[in-house]
Amino acid sequence: MAHKLTTCTFCGVGCGLYLETDGKNIFGAYPSMSHPTNRGRICIRGWHVHEVASAPDRLKKPLIKKNGTFVETTWDEAVNTVVQRLREIKEKYGSDSLAFLCSPRCSNEESYLLQKFARAVIGTNNVDHGTGVYGHNSINVLLEMIGVPASTNSIEELDKSEVIIVDGVDLGKQLPTIGGRVIRAHLNGAKVIVIDSRRHRVAENADIFLQIRPGTEYILYGAMCKIIYDKGLCNRSFIKGHCQDFDKFLESIRGYDLIGASDECGVAPDLIEKAATWYATAKNAAILYSTGIESRRVESIIGSVNLCLIAGQIGKEGAGIYPLTEHNNLQGVCDMGMIPSRFAGYYSVDDFAGRARLEKIWGKRLPTSPGLNARETLTHCGNGKIKAIWLCRYDPVSTAFFADAVSSLERAEFVVVQHLFKTATGDYADVILPCTAYGEEQVTFTNTERRIQLTAKAIEPLGEAIPAWKQICMIANAFGENWDYNTAADVMAEIGRVVPFYERASYDNLSADYGRQWPCTLEKPHGTKTLFADGDIPYKFKFLPLPGFTEQRMEEKDYPLQLIFGHSLYYWHRNVLIQHSEILKREYRILLLDYPEGFVEVNTSDAEKLKVRDGEKVQIVARTGSAVAAVRLTNEIRQGTVFVPYFLREVGEKILGRAINGQDYVPVRIQKLTT
Amino acid sequence: MNEKTEKNIYLPKIAILDRVVDEIKDVRTFYWHFEDPAEQEKFKRFLPGQFAQISIFGVGEFPASLPPSPTEKETFFTIRAVGTCTEALHRMKPGEKFGVRGPYGNGFPMDKYEGKNLVFVAGGIGLIPLRSCIIYAIENRDKYGKIQIFYGARTPAELMYRENLSQWEKQAGIECYLTVDRATDGWQGNVGVVGSLFKKPGVKVSVENTIAFVCGPPIMFRFVIKDLLEMGFSEDNIVSTLERYMKCGVGKCGHCCIGSAYVCVDGPVFTYRQIKKLGEDI
Amino acid sequence: MKARIIESENVMKIVDLLMEKYEVIAPFSGLGRDSFFERVTDENKHLIKLHIPNPYYPPKRFVFPHIERMMRIRAGKDKIDIEPEYNVKPLAIFGIRSCDVAGIGHLDRFFLGGKYRDCYYEIRRKSLFLVNMVCSMPGVDITDECFCLCADTGPAARELFDLQLMDIGDVYLVVAGSMAGEEFLRDPIFKKATQEHVDRRRAILSEVRKQFKDTTSWFSATVRYVSQGAVLEKTWEEIGNRCLECGGCTYVCPACTCFTVSDRKSANGEVERVRIWDSCALGGFTRMAGGFNPRKAVHDRRNRRFYRKLAHYFIQRELSMACVGCGRCAAVCHGDVGMPAVVEMIRRATVQVEAK
Repeated sequence: MAHKLTTCTFCGVGCGLYLETDGKNIFGAYPSMSHPTNRGRICIRGWHVHEVASAPDRLKKPLIKKNGTFVETTWDEAVNTVVQRLREIKEKYGSDSLAFLCSPRCSNEESYLLQKFARAVIGTNNVDHGTGVYGHNSINVLLEMIGVPASTNSIEELDKSEVIIVDGVDLGKQLPTIGGRVIRAHLNGAKVIVIDSRRHRVAENADIFLQIRPGTEYILYGAMCKIIYDKGLCNRSFIKGHCQDFDKFLESIRGYDLIGASDECGVAPDLIEKAATWYATAKNAAILYSTGIESRRVESIIGSVNLCLIAGQIGKEGAGIYPLTEHNNLQGVCDMGMIPSRFAGYYSVDDFAGRARLEKIWGKRLPTSPGLNARETLTHCGNGKIKAIWLCRYDPVSTAFFADAVSSLERAEFVVVQHLFKTATGDYADVILPCTAYGEEQVTFTNTERRIQLTAKAIEPLGEAIPAWKQICMIANAFGENWDYNTAADVMAEIGRVVPFYERASYDNLSADYGRQWPCTLEKPHGTKTLFADGDIPYKFKFLPLPGFTEQRMEEKDYPLQLIFGHSLYYWHRNVLIQHSEILKREYRILLLDYPEGFVEVNTSDAEKLKVRDGEKVQIVARTGSAVAAVRLTNEIRQGTVFVPYFLREVGEKILGRAINGQDYVPVRIQKLTT
Repeated sequence: MNEKTEKNIYLPKIAILDRVVDEIKDVRTFYWHFEDPAEQEKFKRFLPGQFAQISIFGVGEFPASLPPSPTEKETFFTIRAVGTCTEALHRMKPGEKFGVRGPYGNGFPMDKYEGKNLVFVAGGIGLIPLRSCIIYAIENRDKYGKIQIFYGARTPAELMYRENLSQWEKQAGIECYLTVDRATDGWQGNVGVVGSLFKKPGVKVSVENTIAFVCGPPIMFRFVIKDLLEMGFSEDNIVSTLERYMKCGVGKCGHCCIGSAYVCVDGPVFTYRQIKKLGEDI
Repeated sequence: MKARIIESENVMKIVDLLMEKYEVIAPFSGLGRDSFFERVTDENKHLIKLHIPNPYYPPKRFVFPHIERMMRIRAGKDKIDIEPEYNVKPLAIFGIRSCDVAGIGHLDRFFLGGKYRDCYYEIRRKSLFLVNMVCSMPGVDITDECFCLCADTGPAARELFDLQLMDIGDVYLVVAGSMAGEEFLRDPIFKKATQEHVDRRRAILSEVRKQFKDTTSWFSATVRYVSQGAVLEKTWEEIGNRCLECGGCTYVCPACTCFTVSDRKSANGEVERVRIWDSCALGGFTRMAGGFNPRKAVHDRRNRRFYRKLAHYFIQRELSMACVGCGRCAAVCHGDVGMPAVVEMIRRATVQVEAK
């Protein structure tokens, strides 16, 4: 029996936990008491994270589709088939006819190698990770405003925050360890401000709960900034010394008067004023928001960063801004460049210097224009442009919400899938390559506070499963390359040369402690807990103007309710772990069993007006289409808003699928089903 | 069988499905017997009100009340298909095998009730567990005083055990009153909730020296209890059988624990006084 | 009990002796202040550490595993074969703390008492040899979360162990608590103890007891309030608001026993019936097929947990309280609603009402 310290790979917190194993099976999992992020706590998913590896329907051998059915085959045949078909398609249609998509759960090593393969070997920038358009919003805004597309502070610092703003994320269900930190900080005297249209568990512990109308976050932030300015509470020395474009920003929020904003957002003006005052006068205050699918339009993120800068709440312990990554390696996957417009390390593909540097290290010419993103690729197969799709641990048929994965996969001439299980996507594949599961390989993941952590290899891989990163090497080498990475540590060594802030993140360094937080460089080999601390601000932060404030909300007579989407309970994108853990399956199925065809959450008072009962089937009608769902009465949702969980296919396809890009709510009306 | 296996309380015994009879919508009765005649012998000594754990191998286990009286020849369950396990059972054909463990629970103390009058009040599929006591009482007729049965369902199509019902209506020496909430074509009987039967002209509900057995959906339960208490029944003389999510059936897994009782070991039969003390929503 | 002593540098010889008859589990250090119970081999023997924080993954899993295969079921054409699986490997836990010993004692009463005896538990328990280690170093063995004094289970267990060791300076005092323990003490490495040794033990324990927080009286008052149903609904709601339904408190508790049973199709067409730890903190714990869930709201579930642990009825029923004062639930809880915090909340809230 051995106890291996590893990292949980469920959500972006990356809790430290131990696996109990006898080399052949994993028997149990429990938290690490000393890990700085979770300090002895994990959530219900962490307690069951070890169950996936032993699931009976794991793929053990590569599969090839022959005459419409899958046949087990050897690695040689699988690799050769993939190489042959990719080559054929590249020669016939050009490099940009191939697309490479990975899941935000992929390890750093496999993400890095996949985008290297796509760019250096195939010659295309059609790479993306599956979260869709919202994740990119955060990266671009943060890079522009503060120069770093990641959390500026660490999770353990929340103990020291005087004020914590939790914006639009149900911490209790998505990132419970952080939710726990916020609750305990509150018990210790921190002031918690929750901004959300749904009343969730952490909101029950808030000092101020701003239950705003969906989509009005930027108005709230704009108003808060204006209050701070009007009251003379800006951090003038900070703004003068470290920021630029303040005047332009100030001009843009001139119209964000408190009463107007309060009206638009639907919350009392004194609450907004109190929240703003608390935030600006706190010694250190933090803002947490999520980069998950539920999140933000560009303006909201701009608004929150502006708020952070105007009060100077950055560069000190307990302060900062946290773009929380809900998937375990969303941060790492982006760091590794699985983005169509950026290489590993966030260099723009059209930035000459960054590209030249990479070309020198890789010894190859690299494509110069941004590629198609996941949504584009999976919409009519890139409108006909894409002929081959490579999916690394990604199951878009089950989880891609915003596009039509099925028809795109059908249309593609060649689809290769790397995964643990066959999955719904597997039906449309031509070749399926079996990957190793959690506990079967040692690789790295980067959590939401930039901590690069190792997972332990506790047992041998099942059957002939091979680590995904190794599979990419095999295929690259069969293509004629000379990738001689023997171990994942070798891949990490190269990542250290390519991505400056991963410079010293070698496996030796990472295993000396609980991983390392980047930037982990020669000057800072122990990693960096707080960014910009001790006055270490090498450039100016940038304020960005908010859109002019106009009375937007027109009471749409025909569509008086706002429909928002999101996670529900432990649904989590029909995640692989939940499917294979007895208890998680039971828990996540509760809502599914109560409402077998999905549900739409309606506020009790709204339901009274509509005269609908709990469980009753209703029609949700939007301008773009309509769908049917069962009503779930609750007071958690805001009046005037209805909520639909992501797994409601019909609603998604008929309503959101055609909705305007970037909009986070859709005006709808609810009507009784006419039988 | 070695000693360890004999003492293994979780080991199901193999049972063979004999035949399946459709009762009402989604409800079927499954006639079965143990593969091992010795097990069948042991099992037949169950008490009315007890239950058994049915195993559908590969799917799961679930508890089922025992509707036959121990005096009857055939053993059977009446099950509604409402979840994965029950639906799997509904797909089984005669000759197929499944597992049974039991009997478990405390059962109705029919011997303690000897000499008393018995009033049975059931709603919908609540008749399933009470059927066992009713048949037992009828088969031991001279041990009990008056026997009155009050039974109702939502519609005539939802009345359970129709063959038994006609027998009981015709049988001398027992009273059987039926009602439906909503009548459909052809229904000549009473229309109204079960409680309405108590006030029907010609019906005199026995109260003195009487035990009332009540089983049905929560709403019906609440109203019937109210009526019975108003009539003068004491809380100790009203008994019911409770349902809870169960996994082991032997008081170890913790799922069926309400208040200070484990339904599978301390129940499922409780007096109304005990139910009140348990303090949770029924 | 005849007391013996063994020199501190020879304590590990006990492990060697145990390894002759048992598979030995002992405490080891992980990273930082992490610690865990692990199997002893010749290679890692020298790394055993007795004076470390009590490992958080509770040793109850050696008699009641996190996931345990109960039986294998093979459905053939006409025949169904059910093959139960029992674990009879003799196991010795070296360095188990007094709170955990009490926990195993509670499990004994629960699984082996009542109307039915759990054979899987019984078989594992029969082949278990417990070497209890008395906690004597505040700050090292004893942490801020410990409250075994309130639960009257420590720092020195009074029963249910086979051997008990206590570090009294240059030697360890050893006593036996069972026949098997007495047998063990016959080995010549143990020397007779003197009255001076016993006095030293008494003095150290007396000092150690003073280090615990002074909340002994709170437990009994809380038992009273909970048993009488006097706890305000508002208090349960407050507790529920802080609970993130992770199940951690149940999994780490040495006295929690709930499990669920599941049929899983194993690789070669067989079905295995396994039992897995379950937690009443989870929403699906009481949900019935058909949808009815008597404890849907989180505060109803928390209510149930603390009633089960603190109500007088259950303490009487099992002659053992389902809380051993180890403090793990407090350490593992996101919202700080472990036993000590809840006891405090209940006491504060109910006292205020009484004062009115």
